[in-house]
Amino acid sequence: MNKKRKNVLPALAQAGPVSVWMILFVTIPMIYIVYISFMSRGVFGDVVYQFSMESYKTLLDATYFKVITKSLKVAVFTTVLCLLVGYPFAYFIARKPRDVASKLITLIMIPFWTNSLMRLNSWLLVFQTSGPVNNFLQATGIVDHPVTFIYTDGLVVLGMITNMLPFAVLPLYSSIEKLDGSLLEASADLGANPVKTFWHVTLPVTFPGIFSSIILVFIPTLGIYTVSDMLGGGKVLYIGNIIKNQFGAIRNWPLGAALSVLLIAITGILIFIYTRFANIEDMEVV
Amino acid sequence: MINFKRLAAFLMAAVMVLGLVACGGSSKPETDSTEGGSAEASTELNIFMWQQYISDDLIANFEKENNCTVNLSYMSDNADSITKLTAGGAQEYDLIMTCDAYMKSLVDGGYVEKLDLSKIPASSNMNTAYWPEETREYCMPYLMNYIYVIYDSATCPVEITCYNDLIKPELKGQITTIDGARNLFPIALIALGYDPNSTDEKEIAEAYEWLVKFNDNVVAYGNAEQNLTNGTASVALTYDGNASWAMAEKDTIKIADFKEDAVQLGFDLYVMPKGAAHSDLAYKFLDYICQPEVMAANLEEFPYSCPNDAAVAAASENYQNDPCRDFSYKENVFFQEDVGEALTIYNDYYQKLKVGE
Repeated sequence: MNKKRKNVLPALAQAGPVSVWMILFVTIPMIYIVYISFMSRGVFGDVVYQFSMESYKTLLDATYFKVITKSLKVAVFTTVLCLLVGYPFAYFIARKPRDVASKLITLIMIPFWTNSLMRLNSWLLVFQTSGPVNNFLQATGIVDHPVTFIYTDGLVVLGMITNMLPFAVLPLYSSIEKLDGSLLEASADLGANPVKTFWHVTLPVTFPGIFSSIILVFIPTLGIYTVSDMLGGGKVLYIGNIIKNQFGAIRNWPLGAALSVLLIAITGILIFIYTRFANIEDMEVV
Repeated sequence: MINFKRLAAFLMAAVMVLGLVACGGSSKPETDSTEGGSAEASTELNIFMWQQYISDDLIANFEKENNCTVNLSYMSDNADSITKLTAGGAQEYDLIMTCDAYMKSLVDGGYVEKLDLSKIPASSNMNTAYWPEETREYCMPYLMNYIYVIYDSATCPVEITCYNDLIKPELKGQITTIDGARNLFPIALIALGYDPNSTDEKEIAEAYEWLVKFNDNVVAYGNAEQNLTNGTASVALTYDGNASWAMAEKDTIKIADFKEDAVQLGFDLYVMPKGAAHSDLAYKFLDYICQPEVMAANLEEFPYSCPNDAAVAAASENYQNDPCRDFSYKENVFFQEDVGEALTIYNDYYQKLKVGE
């Protein structure tokens, strides 16, 4: 009995701080969000603590369905592009000697030392009508009139990818790096060509890394609103913008909370699917 | 030994909890001095307002004269200040900026302190035409904004003399504009010949259809004056002070010569949340910004229209001769009014507009 007690305290001291932190800053806010999503909206846009399903009824409106499908499309597109760019990238780094690889990984991280809003703004400066890219194109006679790059979907995608690529590359790198070279040799010895080896050996073995990348890129992309706000000129609203507006300009907190719950549910489903596909211990994050 | 460990765990937990409390508390000012008649003067003033809207020099001089610290926090939307006021902003702020459209509801809701105007003698400089009587005792006007349509005469393909010119197909991808349901819908309503503060759903729905066409021509919402000066757009809807900046930067930029359509005029005002902790300094600050020379200097940096007549008279020639100040149809203005429950209709259509097909 006494022995057991002895073990409880150190354990509490170790896990306690993290638990307190998680309860205070994750669990309680989450519960609060769910709670106010069932409340009503006051005349001033304040939350009136009276039970109501109004917000969830509003969610059935076609507008929200459109926003969610549109946000999902963008998130899928960004994730696929990040994987297509990130996989060869990670493969290239992982096949380098260790010291070179760690330098290359650092290079990927360096842009993240700058605030993401600054990075987004710099894209605007680079690509604006009187910016360096347009000046160069005009000076070299490639175009006569400035090309409109900014506030286009293309720039939004560029912004998304540059923001998210490291989240794709890092888990991929970590799983490709662990790939046992002898498996590839064995495959070659047994007569498989490189394409076949990649398809039947490399890809399945690095699958947990791919899935981690998908989760790490897809979920933030689904909720992000700054990229489309800044690079897309605020013309198109995604689910993140709509939620932000409910808590800001439109002041309908219960609806904002209901939308957040919906977003959390979508995320939850994805993670559930993930745990079906891959062992949770396999989730590879550097 | 066990006791010691238990003590250590306890201490650790206590430190954590205290640390968290301290984190939460540090952003709030101490509510030490001043309950009205208290003799001890405040040394701290907390203001919530728009960013890039008041001169740093003005703040620095005020701090020096009154031996105090002014903490400015910034709003990103008019709704932010409503949130602060209705959620008991007095714990955090002594002065909060809001706009004329919300004043009546704020007074009715009892969210703002009645001002003792005798403590703001310089307020006599204010033009009362811009300081509506029914809420006069609750607010102090700061600056005001017309929402202008300006265009780059070198690149704009059409002549603009009314709002309906803005939906011409030639302007596709050429317009940059300020955002917000209550800034965009009145323009559409006026273009259609309705009341800009309409509460009729049918009219608002028509305005939405108009804005769909307008939206086709918009290249970007926000950063209007930068987008115009850097050539991304050729037409901009923006506030008069921002128009001044744009026109100072590029001399081909002109104000659209409207023949009949009314222009929106809004006021930004300071209000004191109920029970503000440093009201003595807040009064001093309000009186300070009403001083003609102080405001005149501020106008150099922030060339918006100003309801303080004495300050305008004291302002530089540069400010007074600015074409953005000399607006011949200036009398033809409309104000944003409280639309009550209809705001939800506006917001729904605004959302629909931005979600698109």
